[in-house]
Amino acid sequence: MEIEGYLMPDELYYEKDHYWVRDEGEFLVMGMDDFAQKLAGKIVFVQLPEPGKRLEAGKRFAKVESGKWLGKINAPVSGELAAVNEELEENPGLVNEDCYGKGWMYRIRPDDKAGLARLIHGPEAVRAWLTADIAKFAKP
Amino acid sequence: MDLYDLGRVPALDSQLLYHALADLGREGLFLLSPATPYVCVGYHQDAAREVDLAFCRERGIPVYRREVGGGAVYLDGGQVFFQLVLRRDDPRIPASRDAFYRRFLEPVVRVYRRMGVAAEYKPVNDIVAGARKVSGSGVGEIGEGLVFVGNVILDFDYRTMARVLNVPDEKFRDKVFKTLEENLSTVGRELGSERAAAWTPERVRGLLAEEFARLVGPLVPREVDPALRAKVEALRPVFASESWLLARRGRGRGREIRIRSGLHLLRRVHKAKGGLLRADFALLEGKLQEVSLSGDFFCYPPDGVERLAETLEGALPAEAASRIEDFLARQGIEIPGVAAADWAALFTP
Repeated sequence: MEIEGYLMPDELYYEKDHYWVRDEGEFLVMGMDDFAQKLAGKIVFVQLPEPGKRLEAGKRFAKVESGKWLGKINAPVSGELAAVNEELEENPGLVNEDCYGKGWMYRIRPDDKAGLARLIHGPEAVRAWLTADIAKFAKP
Repeated sequence: MDLYDLGRVPALDSQLLYHALADLGREGLFLLSPATPYVCVGYHQDAAREVDLAFCRERGIPVYRREVGGGAVYLDGGQVFFQLVLRRDDPRIPASRDAFYRRFLEPVVRVYRRMGVAAEYKPVNDIVAGARKVSGSGVGEIGEGLVFVGNVILDFDYRTMARVLNVPDEKFRDKVFKTLEENLSTVGRELGSERAAAWTPERVRGLLAEEFARLVGPLVPREVDPALRAKVEALRPVFASESWLLARRGRGRGREIRIRSGLHLLRRVHKAKGGLLRADFALLEGKLQEVSLSGDFFCYPPDGVERLAETLEGALPAEAASRIEDFLARQGIEIPGVAAADWAALFTP
């Protein structure tokens, strides 16, 4: 689904700070959504913590830097960090080039899938949330 | 909001205080200068790669890492720092980052103007006087807080700034020095030393307090309290440790030094079959400038590589590959073991 120029794939779950989560069975994969990567501009650094790290839903576990801003990445669900996208160490710009594909960030082994229910999912919910955020971010 | 008008504070404390306040989930504005010079690297930088640590050690210049992004900077008493700590849920924070800088740099622009410097806000986060940058700033999300840090540069030690950086060779260092001097200005240079002398750090802190109060509301002066002091002391061993400083959070190819927004100096290297290739160049508003190519390859005719460099002037990095290919095909230049794609690799964005 495209909303005002932002690509938001229907099958994904979204965290309110604009990170997406894809359900891949045993694992969840996450990355930055199209709205956030366009807003951030060129991503110059993505922190890649050691796999095995314990994640708590809503708590910071990594940082991401665009030229002007050092932001936090919160865990969308509780679980364990299973893998990180090593490519981003050499080329964090992959987040800008292909945020849902080659620019994926982390693979998480969730404690359970119940956490997904707290994320934003489904065309209607995603449209309502994104449209509100677009208006909010347009404010001077 | 609380105002901590602290004057000169020990170098490390000038970093610890705002980190501590953010960690405590409190808001406040710090105005201060470091009592002694130091170097500070950005959160993700590889300190050993960016900074000449041996030189700094020898000269007794400490090197610290901040939880804010950006590049290595040299801080001393010639600069007055503002460090505004807000809670992330503070309604005064605009949703968009560009809007944040526009709003929160306004007080700083007004301070410069009140001093007589024709300063202007330049998106995203620069303040310029004419073509030169006069103030630097950045934002980091720390704990539950959002910190906005920046400076008013009364005087700047260009020579030492260029010296503390790790550079590939002295020619590159000289280039950094000259480019800094051409693109970064100070209150002293803008006003002339006589007029600038009236603006002591204390008066500048006074102006900053007045102008920030217009944006965030009344500022209440206060001392560093025991809770804040305790948090500072808890953070001190971490920020003073080698492991925090030398943590390697990112890698890159070659060297890149940001002079100001829209102007970067780069050295790139690439290993081709026929030898090592090196490119030194500036990226000015996204275009290649002052390209210089060197390395340990063999080229016939000998000036071929120099002419190749000339053809790249003004090109976008994305155009480099086609310009290189055209030029080498047309001119019949022979560089055994080095293909057009090898040269192009030096310029890929």
